[in-house]
This record gives sequence, structure tokens and C-alpha cells, in this order.
Amino acid sequence: MNEMTPPKTERTAALKGLGSARKRVEDARFTQGKGNYVDDIKLPGMLFGDFVRSPYAHARIKSIDAEKAKALPGVIAVLTAADLAPLKLHWMPTLAGDVQMVLADGKVLFQGQEVAFVVAENRYIAADAVELVEVDYEELPVVVDPFKAEAPDAPVLREDLAGKSEGAHGPRRHHNHIFTWEQGDRDATEKVLASADVVAEEMVYYHRTHPCPLETCGCVASMDKVNGKLTVWGTFQAPHAVRTVASLISGIAEHNIRIISPDIGGGFGNKVGVYPGYICSIVASIVTGVPVKWVEDRMENLMATAFARDYWMKGKISATKDGRITGLWCHVTADHGAFDACADPTKFPAGFFNICTGSYDIPVAYLAVDGVYTNKAPGGVAYRCSFRVTEAAYFIERMIEVLAIRLGMDSAELRAKNFIRKDQFPYHSALGWEYDSGDYHTAWDKALKAVDYEGLRREQAQRLEDFKAGKTRKLIGIGLTHFTEIVGAGPVKNCDILGLGMFDSCEIRIHPTGSAIARLGTISQGQGHATTFAQILASEIGIPADDITVEEGDTDTAPYGLGTYGSRSTPVAGAATAMAGRKIRAKAQMIAAYLLEVHDDDVEWDIDRFAVKGAPERFKTMKEIAFAAYNQAIPGIEPGLEAVSYYDPPNMTYPFGAYICVMEIDVDTGEHEIRQFYALDDCGTRINPMIIEGQVHGGATEGYAIAMGQEIAYDEMGNVKTATLMDFFLPTAWETPHYTTDFTVTPSPHHPIGAKGVGESPNVGSVPAFSNAVHDAFRAFGLTQTHMPHDHWRIWRTAHELGLHG
Amino acid sequence: MELHDEIRIEAPKHEVYAALNDPEVLKAAIPGCQELNKVSDTELEAKVALKVGPVKATFGGKVTLDTAGAPDRFSLTGEGSGGVAGFAKGGADVELREDGNATILRYAAKADVGGKLAMLGGRLIASTAQKLAAQFFENFSAQVSAGREFS
Repeated sequence: MNEMTPPKTERTAALKGLGSARKRVEDARFTQGKGNYVDDIKLPGMLFGDFVRSPYAHARIKSIDAEKAKALPGVIAVLTAADLAPLKLHWMPTLAGDVQMVLADGKVLFQGQEVAFVVAENRYIAADAVELVEVDYEELPVVVDPFKAEAPDAPVLREDLAGKSEGAHGPRRHHNHIFTWEQGDRDATEKVLASADVVAEEMVYYHRTHPCPLETCGCVASMDKVNGKLTVWGTFQAPHAVRTVASLISGIAEHNIRIISPDIGGGFGNKVGVYPGYICSIVASIVTGVPVKWVEDRMENLMATAFARDYWMKGKISATKDGRITGLWCHVTADHGAFDACADPTKFPAGFFNICTGSYDIPVAYLAVDGVYTNKAPGGVAYRCSFRVTEAAYFIERMIEVLAIRLGMDSAELRAKNFIRKDQFPYHSALGWEYDSGDYHTAWDKALKAVDYEGLRREQAQRLEDFKAGKTRKLIGIGLTHFTEIVGAGPVKNCDILGLGMFDSCEIRIHPTGSAIARLGTISQGQGHATTFAQILASEIGIPADDITVEEGDTDTAPYGLGTYGSRSTPVAGAATAMAGRKIRAKAQMIAAYLLEVHDDDVEWDIDRFAVKGAPERFKTMKEIAFAAYNQAIPGIEPGLEAVSYYDPPNMTYPFGAYICVMEIDVDTGEHEIRQFYALDDCGTRINPMIIEGQVHGGATEGYAIAMGQEIAYDEMGNVKTATLMDFFLPTAWETPHYTTDFTVTPSPHHPIGAKGVGESPNVGSVPAFSNAVHDAFRAFGLTQTHMPHDHWRIWRTAHELGLHG
Repeated sequence: MELHDEIRIEAPKHEVYAALNDPEVLKAAIPGCQELNKVSDTELEAKVALKVGPVKATFGGKVTLDTAGAPDRFSLTGEGSGGVAGFAKGGADVELREDGNATILRYAAKADVGGKLAMLGGRLIASTAQKLAAQFFENFSAQVSAGREFS
């Protein structure tokens, strides 16, 4: 009956399960231009929306005259705050417990803010009509500097909050103050700093930038007035949460709302938030009874939808004379823009920034974050990182360098001296986290050896001599980083967004012929979920990954989940997938035992089958079991083979890595060349090495952009100076460095398959590596800190200020 | 953004000053000027079509003159709005000095721009403004000297 059994290695390979460099199944359609994105959706009679946006950063609206626009043939409607007010939709809740104007209500607070929504028969007419809407503004004083926002005479930005001394995260001390968030032990830390051998102090700025996904944000809203059902296709990183929030805001019953995230062309945090375009499209579809599409253009994306970072981090770090760190103090001034629309778990207004003790065993620490309002776009999302983790990693990795300079020590040695040791895990950090696992010394030693660190330092010293002797105008910088991330939010006990617990889910249905479909509460934006989750499942249930369809993004079919951001898909939904797989296997075991006429406990799992213990020639493959599950009456067992798992992780996961960047800098032109970039990642169990490598390349390239040129810059009038790709740096193949990737494996002890998540590590780790390389090149000339982005002009200026131009 | 320059106009100072206060002369000299009306002795209203890089718009604006130092110097302030294209505001100090039969005109202007004009045209604005100013004075100077030849 049973065919000849191929060897175990062959059967394992055929599954393309964990560890297989399986090609991405998504790429067949993406590389042929056959993806299906929001803007590809075309429905009969569909209308198009476009925004009138404010040219001012702060102004009162005296009047809006839309008559000329309405008279333009093809224009269906022009919505303003006055039209949305009766529905109470002119303001909306943000993910951070604040409120945000959907359409300008009396005033505008940032350049590019949505003022009116034009609905027309096509995009061209909508764009023409936008120009015909006449808005009379009265200019108001602008606040772009977060340190001036809290001056006693600073203009009042949020008039709607007048008299509110209590915000979503505690007391507000000024009309432009949002919250103060404190962690750690202030008194103990200040005491340690006061009596320390050495204290290094520095202001570290992580500038404002933007996730800038290639596909901008957008949606198609379609209200079916016959069956009362609202369907919204959109660029949503968390479709289920969008459904719940949409229901709560609109009053439409949740079963009558269907949210669909089709293919998404990159998210990086930009597509987590709720934007006025979604609300206006939905209202417009309800009013007109036909579908309405809204897709922002590049400028709108860069100037109005969620930015990232803008953290001014003042740090003090103390140590003994021989380099043992004794304490860390940090105060952050966080520029949140005009509305607090950060996407952080509710109890964490500064995200997980309290991971800022990094990879180091720091006995005592104190952190305070003050959020302030300015006349800039709202946001503060986690751009390819877990909530505020990249800010934290940049801060500590700069502070380590600054301390090394104060101590006159090699910073690689300083790191190694202070790493949390392998035997200290699970490690309780001074700022409240429990690091699940790590082996930092092993990774660090491997990295230093791989790049021949000692040799590089010798070469650098020689170059410095040559430079001083006038033989060269190029310096060498060696940028070191050892980062620790905190990802996989998260345990429902302390992580929720708007009250929605941050678990995730997987539902598996095995078909009678032994193939399967798995649906998850997450949504891929390019991460390759359809490839990797099938691999997790293949190893769990013995069905080849090629025979498993993975589906996400449709709230009518997928189980509830909180979506994809903060590297949470593998730690949370990946765990749910493994757990659901194990439920399938448990039932399969009973079926196999029945078919083999033995007791349940007398069969054992063997890659893709259950075999009788001690008699491996007697077995049932998963294919046979699946068929029997549906087609054979088995006493006491229901027909079918399905399972669902909702996974609430017991802890976060803590991926880490060691990155080293070697950079050549031309002091006369400010140009740089990345000579070598080595990235060692430990993300626990590796599901697909090829996808990991791709993730590292992508994230490191974003990190390169951020560190070396990318920014959202404002002038003093609140004009966005970098709202096009002419000024906003996105590296092309020309600028992108070559990367060498490497790994160690320290599985997460609490994750079912030991995986930790990797998508965001390269962004978190590479930014300090690039930046530290720039700083390191000038260390010999007395540079301790200069702010990113390190574009050619800023590097030239640094060289100039250090007197290197003669 | 700041602009300053010095030019020589082949006409006596009082004629140059008069021309600077003549809406017809100004209208012909200002590049892209579609309308220019005197509201009072010290106030003008203008409509000017401008193109800065990819942004093209018609700006409506007001100019206020301060003639306290006439005819040796005067200053002006103004602001204009081009709808979604953005807005501009600024001012200029103009100084006239006799140089034989000619006049040396020296000006220092300061302008701020906002909206799409600043975002898209940012890197082009200074050079565009310089070009427009040069064009204005070329036209202006041509008209004033021409006026002399024919009068």
C-alpha cells in the first residue's frame, strides 16, 4: 500500500520548510507587473477624491469658497469640515489617544493639512477643481522648533485643547506640551552620575525622516446601499484594527464593514495610521452611493502622512576609569507635530524607547520623554523598526562612542566590557524589560574577526599619518554597532492599540487531497509572508510549502489580528501558525493511530507522516491522513482537518546584531564611499535565509539613506523643503553599498519555533553603524558629535569646522 | 531669500522716481504683469503670472509704498497669493543717486515664499527671482531712457 520511503533528508528537503532558501512565491506576480495594488482597483462608476491642502503651516481659515469648483463640469461634491461636522467626523481619534482634524476646522496647523475634499468624475477634473477652491487664510505665527514650543509666549497651536491640563498620557504642563513619560530610577541614577569617575554628556539628534514607501497611501471605499455593506480596499498594515476603529467611529456594525488590504507596495510604518483620506472617501461613498477612490501623490505622502523620528535625545552616561558603565540618564524632547498621531501601544507614548540601555549591563538608568506640539505634520511612526527602537539604538550606540572618546578607549573594547553576558539571560534591564535571550560576545567576536578589526585600525592609523603628512585627502572611518531590538508586540497584558490587544492569529484548513490554505491576521507589504509562513507550516504539518496557500488582508475571511509592523508578524502570527499547525498534527495523530490500528501514543511524528513506534515501515503520510479526515467515518472524531490559533506571546523577542561599516571620506568634497558593510544578525531560528538576506539588504539601504542624506526638513515658515524625490534621498542602485551578511543563532526560548523577527533589525542597526563611521573618521581631530543626515555638505562643513581645509 | 543689486539708468533722478510711481511703466516692466492698478498714492494692486520650475500660477497681491524719503529713497512691502501654488511676501528698499545725467538705482529686497512654490521651486527660487529682477530693470530702464529720447 505504502510507497517506498525516501530518505529523511530527501523528505525534509521536499517540504521546503524551516531553513530552506525557498524562492519567494510572491515574486512571480511582482516581477511581471501583475501585482494588484489599491490603485489597480477599478469599479464601475467610481469617483475620485483629491484634497485642497494648506500652503500655510499655521493659519486661521477665514472662509472657504467652493462655488467655482462645484461649477466645474464633472465635479460631484466639495466636502469641508462644515459638511462633516453634523456626522461628527470632522475630527478623528489618533492611535495615540489624541484627536486630529479630518478637514481643517477653523485653522490649519501644518503645511499640507487637508482643508477640503473634492470629489469628481476623474482624477484630472478633481485636480483642476482643487485649484478653484478659494480659501482665505490669516497667517499665524509658526512654531517649528520643539524647544521654542514650550516658551511661555509660544503661540497656542491646539486651541481645541484649551484648558485641558490632563492628556491621554498624564498631565500637560504647557499649551503645546503633550505628555511626560518617565521610566527608571531618577534619584539613584543622578546619585551615580554625581559620584562617577567619568561622565560623558551629549545631545544626540535623530532627525525627522519619512518611510516613503514606493506605493503611497490610498483607498477605494464602496458603500453598497442595497445590502448596507461598506467595503474598503486600502493600504492598511492592520486591516482588522481598521475595521474595528471604522465601526466605532462610524456606527456601522462591524459585520457590515469589510476591509481588504490587497498587495501593498511597502509600508515601513507609514501605512499603520488612519488618515483623513480614508474617512473622506468613506463619507463620499456613503453620500454618493458609488465607490470613491483616493490615492495620494508623492508630495502628499511626504508632507502629510506619517513621518518618523524627530527625537532630541540628551544623554549622560557614567563609567569607572577602566570603562565599566555605571549609569545612564536620558531626556528626550520629542517633536510630534500638530497632532499626536504616533503609532505606539497605548501604555507606551514613547514606544519601547526604554530599550535604550541597549546591549549593555547598565545597573541603573533614568529616562524621561516630553512630547510637544509643533506646526509640522503628525506621525512619529516606527519606520522599519519596533516602536521608537531605532531612536533608542542610535542613542545608546552614539553614547557608547562618546564615552569611549572621554575614556580614551577603543569603542569595540568598551562594548565587549559592558555587554550583558550569556549567563545573565533572561536579563532584567534597569528600564524595565526582560530580555529573553542573547549571546552578544559570540556575535561580537565573530564580527570583529570577520572584518579583521585590528587590521582595519592599523590601516586607519596609517591613513591618518599620511593625511597629516599631506599625502592624501581621504580619511577612514570605522563604524561599530551592537544593537538589541525589542520586537513582537506583544503580550496583551501590557500591549494594546486603542484597547485592541496585540495578539495575532492563524487559521488552517487542510484540503482532502493534502494541500492547505492558511489565513493570518497579519498583512505582507513585501515581507514575503506567503513564502515564509508556508515554510513554518510545512515543518509543523509535513505538507510541502508549495502546497500551502497563505492568505491575508481580507477581514471577511482572515482571522482577527493586529497586523504587520514592529517586526511582530513572525514573533506573533508566526507563533500562531506553528501553534495552529500543532493542533492539526494532534488531530492527525489520532486519525493516523486509528488507521494504523494502534493507540494514539503508539505513533510518532516523522517529518511528513506518523509511523508506528518501532515499526517505521508502518505509517500514514499527511496526505493519506487528510483524505481520511474527510472521507472516512472515524468513531469519536469529527470529519475535517482545520485549526485556528490566537497567540498571545508571553514576552517580546529580542533580536540583536553586530554591524560594522568601513567608510572613506573625502574631506574636501564631503563625499563618502562605503568600502565595506558587514551585518551579522541573530534573529533566532532562521526560517528562510534568502528572505533574511533580502530583508537585511533592504533595511540597511534604508538605514544608509537615513544616515547619509534622507530627511524631512522644514524652513522657519514651516515649509517642507524636501517634499519630492528630487530633495528627499532614496538611494538607487548607484548609491547603494554592497553588503556582507552573517549570522549567529540564539533561539527565543518562549517562541514555539524560536524565531525572533528580522525585518527591522537592519534599519535599527545600520543607522548607528553608518553614523559612527562618519564620526570615527574625524575622531582624531576632536569631533564628538555631529547630527545626521551626513550628506556631502554636512560632512564638508564638519571638516571645515575642524580646520581641515587649511 | 535676499536680493540686492545696483544698476545705472540713463535718465535723471526725478524722471526715474516718477517712472517708478507710474503704474503704466511698472506694468510694462514687471515680467508677467497682467494688471496693475493704483488704489491710492501709496497702494497698488497687481496680478502677475509666474512660473517657477514646475509651478505656474497667477498671483494676486497688494503693494504698499513708503515714500517718506522721496525722491532719494523709498521702500515697499507687499504680499501675494497664488492659491494652491503658494504665497509670497516681502519688501524692498530702493535708493536713487544722481550720477551726472544718469541715475544709480540700488535696491535690497527680502522675500519669503510658502506653499508649493517653496516646496517644489525651493532650489530654483533664488535664481528665478534674480532673473526676474534683472528682467524688470532691463525693461524699466529701456522704457525710461526711451521716454527721454521721444519726449
